[in-house]
Amino acid sequence: MNAMRSLPRLGLAALLVFATLLPLAFLVALSVSSDWFYPNLAPRRWTGANWDLLRRSGAVIFSSLRVSAALALATGAVSSISGLFAGRKIARLDGWRGRVAVACAFLPVAVPPLALSIGLQYSLLKMGLGGRFSGVLFAHVVPALGYTTLFFVGIFAVFDWLVEDEARSLGASPRDVIMRVTLPLLRRPLVEAFALGFLVSWAQVPLTLLIGQGLVRTLPLELMSYVSAGQDHLAATAGLVLTIPPLALLVVTALAVRRLGAVIA
Amino acid sequence: MTSPALEMDSVSVRFGAETILQNMTLQVGRGERFVIVGPSGSGKTTLLRVIAGFVTPEGGEIMIAGLSATAVPPEKRDAVYMHQTPILFPHLTVLENVAFPLRVRRLSGGETRERVGAALDAMQMGRFENRMPRTLSGGQKHRVALARAIVARPSLLLLDEPFSALDPALRRDVRLALLAAHSQYEPGVVLVTHDFGDAAGIADRIGVLIEGELTQVASPAELFMRPASLAIARFLNIANEVHGHSDGGGTFCSTLGNFRTRDTIAAGPAIAVFSPAAVTIGLKGRTAARVIEVRTYPEHTTLMLGITGGRLEAACPAGSSFAAGDETTVDLDVDRLAVFPLPAGQRVE
Repeated sequence: MNAMRSLPRLGLAALLVFATLLPLAFLVALSVSSDWFYPNLAPRRWTGANWDLLRRSGAVIFSSLRVSAALALATGAVSSISGLFAGRKIARLDGWRGRVAVACAFLPVAVPPLALSIGLQYSLLKMGLGGRFSGVLFAHVVPALGYTTLFFVGIFAVFDWLVEDEARSLGASPRDVIMRVTLPLLRRPLVEAFALGFLVSWAQVPLTLLIGQGLVRTLPLELMSYVSAGQDHLAATAGLVLTIPPLALLVVTALAVRRLGAVIA
Repeated sequence: MTSPALEMDSVSVRFGAETILQNMTLQVGRGERFVIVGPSGSGKTTLLRVIAGFVTPEGGEIMIAGLSATAVPPEKRDAVYMHQTPILFPHLTVLENVAFPLRVRRLSGGETRERVGAALDAMQMGRFENRMPRTLSGGQKHRVALARAIVARPSLLLLDEPFSALDPALRRDVRLALLAAHSQYEPGVVLVTHDFGDAAGIADRIGVLIEGELTQVASPAELFMRPASLAIARFLNIANEVHGHSDGGGTFCSTLGNFRTRDTIAAGPAIAVFSPAAVTIGLKGRTAARVIEVRTYPEHTTLMLGITGGRLEAACPAGSSFAAGDETTVDLDVDRLAVFPLPAGQRVE
């Protein structure tokens, strides 16, 4: 009976291992090996050459890492703040207006990234933003904003609006209400939305490729070039570098969220 | 001459096709405690929210402290609205919560500190100033909310059922805190409650709101002794109703005897309404009665009495020696008797 009960738990654990830990283990193994062909279960040779090679192309990697970080940080900041205000506005709409607004927020999330890229490429190129950091940032913010807006619609669905009324009745202007009450109360979801926006941008390839026109080089693009050149071991090594910032961000977010506690009204 | 804390002139509120408040005209003086009672859904909370500026009236004029407030946003009205359950800002300490209204008014640090200290001391919350709201009890939260409401000294305090969620001991505690807050600088108070005891204990005047209309405004004594209509008397839960006839000349005739009434109503079937306190027992009364049931409360005793053709509820001091089955006589204090024509369709019992 106990064995039957623990089956789903075991299944979930296996899924977790296969979906996340195993690919990561492969990445690590690929990054420190050179000959690993089918049907060998393990690499034939262990080496630090891939890391050496990556270090030697340090300027390119560092530059792309810097661009990726700048894009992701800016996307996180812009999309979390804008998402908060958009979500707040949408949550206060009644009836069909609210439903239409939620559907609009869903659009950039629901449309496949490639289709979205093509649509955005046309408009951003017309605006002269093709191949520019600002253009790529704008493109990254579009899907990120969709996610953060929907996230905040959910947050504001359980938000006690009376707390804002109370502040206004005590003499707070609408700006004071936002700055002194709403934003401080929503510190935790803001941190989470920032992380969400960061992650959406960090892993973005099609939008960066089409809007950046190869002139804005991010780490995922470098990684893609290694993959397309068949340099699997180097790609795995760069992939590990790509993995570190979001993991670090998740740790920082988890710590921040724990420290901030749950102070939603 | 000082203008009243609140003046409402023909204020109406509609939600869709439904009329919530109809031609509300009301004046509350500075320092006056005005209590509104009314059944659920009668528009009490809407009335407070329209005064506070959270609901836009369809018509009419609202003046707060002599200034037109009809089109003024809530933060610019000289009034503070306190919700039924105290809403303290959970991310601020007690001190920061109470300082909030002064900080948004950009008062200097010294003055803020001084006024916050005084308000907290008045509410006996000074030693809790560094605590977070989540660590306070329900009564302490109410006290902090009251301190925060009065610290900016608004001309008008709007209190929505401030005692409804409290147990009896806490209710008394918060009621005293409210009176202490009021005595700080005597703002006009409009308080909504379901509880007639709270209303009588706080109010200078009570307004009865039924279906969006103020049907009677009177002092507590006058309201409970002389309700303006049978509907109000029934809403006020005045325990005794005796059917009889009016002779059209100011006399009410019933099984309890004939009584001269203060108001003259047309001849015909009538109902006399009176509270248990209007019934005098055992003083050579006109009507024989038998004690059916004795209910003992901390501050008084209630007797359920059987009389010819009906029952009466009478109040006597705590520790009364009456017991079920005792024979006695009863009479009525005519000053506490309100007589109304029998409503159409109702038969004399």
